[in-house]
Amino acid sequence: MATERDTPTAAGERVIESFGRVSRTADRVFRALLLVATLLGIVALAILLVYVANDAIRPLTADPAWHLTFFLTLVVPTIAVGGYLYRFDAESFQFGTITVGMLAVSSMFAAGAAMIFVDIVAPVVWFAFVLAFGTAFAGIVTLSRFSHRIPFLARFLASGAFLVGSVLFVPDAVQSLPVYPSDWVMLTASLALPLAVVVGRYVAADTGWRGTVLAAGIGLGVVVLATNIGPLVGITPVPALVMTVMSVVPTGGYVAGRVRRHPELRPGLALAAAVLGGALVGAAAVDALGFAGPQAWVDWQFLTSAHNNTAAEAGLYPAIGGSILLMVTVAAISFPVGVGAAVYLEEYAPNNRLTRTIDVNISNLAGVPSVVYGLLGLGVFTRYLGQPRGTVLVGGATLALLILPIVIISAREALRGVPDEMRQASYGMGATRWQTVRNVVLPEAFPAILTGTILALGRAIGETAPLLMIGAPSVLYALPTDFSSKTGAMPLQVYAWASNYATPEFHNKAVPAGVVVLLVVLLSMNSIAIVLRNKYQRDH
Amino acid sequence: MSTDDLERDLTRRTENSPRELLIRSFFLLCAVLTVATTLGIILLLTTEAAKFFDSTAGLVGFEGTTTSAIDFLTGTKWRMHDGQFGVLPFVTGTLMITIGSAIIALPLGVATAIYLSEYASPRARSVLKPALEVLAGVPTVVYGFFAVVYITPALATFIPGIGTFNMLSASIVVGIMIIPMVASISEDAMSAVPDELRQAGYGMGATKFDVSTGIVIPAALSGIFSSFILALSRAIGETMAVTIAAGSRTQFLNPLDPRSYLESVQPMTAGMVELLKGDVTGGGLAYRSLFAIGLTLFVITLVMNIISDLIAQHYREEY
Repeated sequence: MATERDTPTAAGERVIESFGRVSRTADRVFRALLLVATLLGIVALAILLVYVANDAIRPLTADPAWHLTFFLTLVVPTIAVGGYLYRFDAESFQFGTITVGMLAVSSMFAAGAAMIFVDIVAPVVWFAFVLAFGTAFAGIVTLSRFSHRIPFLARFLASGAFLVGSVLFVPDAVQSLPVYPSDWVMLTASLALPLAVVVGRYVAADTGWRGTVLAAGIGLGVVVLATNIGPLVGITPVPALVMTVMSVVPTGGYVAGRVRRHPELRPGLALAAAVLGGALVGAAAVDALGFAGPQAWVDWQFLTSAHNNTAAEAGLYPAIGGSILLMVTVAAISFPVGVGAAVYLEEYAPNNRLTRTIDVNISNLAGVPSVVYGLLGLGVFTRYLGQPRGTVLVGGATLALLILPIVIISAREALRGVPDEMRQASYGMGATRWQTVRNVVLPEAFPAILTGTILALGRAIGETAPLLMIGAPSVLYALPTDFSSKTGAMPLQVYAWASNYATPEFHNKAVPAGVVVLLVVLLSMNSIAIVLRNKYQRDH
Repeated sequence: MSTDDLERDLTRRTENSPRELLIRSFFLLCAVLTVATTLGIILLLTTEAAKFFDSTAGLVGFEGTTTSAIDFLTGTKWRMHDGQFGVLPFVTGTLMITIGSAIIALPLGVATAIYLSEYASPRARSVLKPALEVLAGVPTVVYGFFAVVYITPALATFIPGIGTFNMLSASIVVGIMIIPMVASISEDAMSAVPDELRQAGYGMGATKFDVSTGIVIPAALSGIFSSFILALSRAIGETMAVTIAAGSRTQFLNPLDPRSYLESVQPMTAGMVELLKGDVTGGGLAYRSLFAIGLTLFVITLVMNIISDLIAQHYREEY
């Protein structure tokens, strides 16, 4: 624009032209510099990630024929199918990618859940508690169906009593039974059945209850089948069941539901088939031909054994279990409290001094260093409340306080995104404030709230300093068995290897492997959040 | 405001029913919990730190070994077994990490913000912004490991005599870690600059370079400054990366001398982690010194956050 020639004389024209050239060059140099600066941090991190992945997985130790086999069976078909779909059918391509991603991510989390049922929570305990909450829920629903005359407070107290009573008595009663069904039957009833119903409802929501029952039945059938086939290929029933329930059934349900409603997406399944089939065929071929795979440090042994003073034997199993229990605790505390605080500030709070204080306070809390939260946990929970040091409960509560400001801030943003017209429509129908919040505002804001919470949990899973402060042992040889036993965590274990065992052995083997596991968990959580956010933004 | 009044009118009849009151008080309780957290932090840090100093121990009714507050604030040596508790080595360590990471993160962060807000196409933004989020999302313990295992050896080929644990690699990773913070807050400030100002610039024949440096940056200056302060406060509070990368020697070095960065120095946060290895269960001197350093850290970061808020509020250009 600076070069518009509007000067009549030739000399003037030349002056302006050279000005223009100088400033255009400056502009171009500036732009290039900015781009370099923007990419510098990202590229640096990418290089570091490549290094650590190389150290942990060591792809170069594999037989070249192994790489070639997988290149031919997995990479080539995936690129061919994916490229074709990406070019001509972007919607199906997306559907295919989400299917593959969902299967991978859900398998990972299902493996974590299977670990809980194998080593931490006995299926009978789980079954007993599900039964207890089920009875309480049924009782409360019955109470609210048949008793509109009873005043609210009485009903509220009765419901509370019902809940407390059944949680106190039912689990003990169930566990004291002389005989109970085998583990997989109990898990089928308490885990597979509810999930199958939810998935079935998603698949056949538009066909009434008959379709739902059919879909849920199919899901349940798959679970029972997998549980009984598992032992034939060396997987015991409990992990086989949990893996199927939490990975195969949801993914299958997602695929079935999407394909039923949008048959035009069917080509996307070709991508999933190419990836899955390619991986299976490749694995079979490599096995049959005897090509050696990479001697990765992240292997089955690393994931399933405890710390060892020899780097090559060291594993992450207790730390993974600790991280899972910590996450459950953190989510159980920070989600209700964070969302509650956000609802108060956005929906209820009058514009007074208390509200402003809370407001300023939250933004300041978000900037408090994590070590200080650790001190808070150390001082308040262990010293003044007399809790033992380093337990799951203390660690989870400390981390929950740490991410609470983040959860609140993101939940408030989500609530602010709900249009006021929807609230007014609800009030106009005579709804009370709570009814509006429950039936209109929260369902509308839920995906965005979930996104924020997942991101905050990702922050908590990588935190080390507060756990060190509250005295969580950095090396743990056994899984924590309940909420009051000492816990480890993945980042703590990585820290211990990187500092206490700072030998080249550990730096080259155990630490990269631990870092890769930690990053895979984190990145998959972030990707869930990003997929949710994109979907949510598209819908609006 | 009027919609609030409308809502109030519509819910006035029901808002005091037991159910609504119960639910509202639950939500209020959740919100008040955050205030309780802050009060808990302040009370705990001050009472425990008070037990550490001669002059204040009496106020909280504490008897036992204490140290003088003057020695704590001006001492240049931290030797627990000699009874020397000078916080200055830790403060200089923290200062070094702040300066070092600022040199890396501030220019890169602002450049990133300008690129994202002025130059990048929507497509480039949709790739770059999640990538930057990943930069901030990698756990700090992983950054610490990167610094020791990959960055320090790489630096050693250029700089002989660099220690295994050194401030330079710690500063580099902390710098990388806080780039997204500078970038995202600065970019918000730059996006808030109204387009009319830019268009006026283009109308005068300015290039994007002229508009960015002459119009957008000056207009967004308060936001940029507040992003600097927030990011530096994050760098000050950063613990694990520094603990792993900068080693465990408490040294009192000149933070402005570049040679200091080749040595192992402990900032406050790393010092706290180191102290944990001592006796902290019984509430001994090590335990209380932990809180004294924690209080110092908390006050510094809190003051920085408040300053950043004030800058953002008071110097905000109203458009």
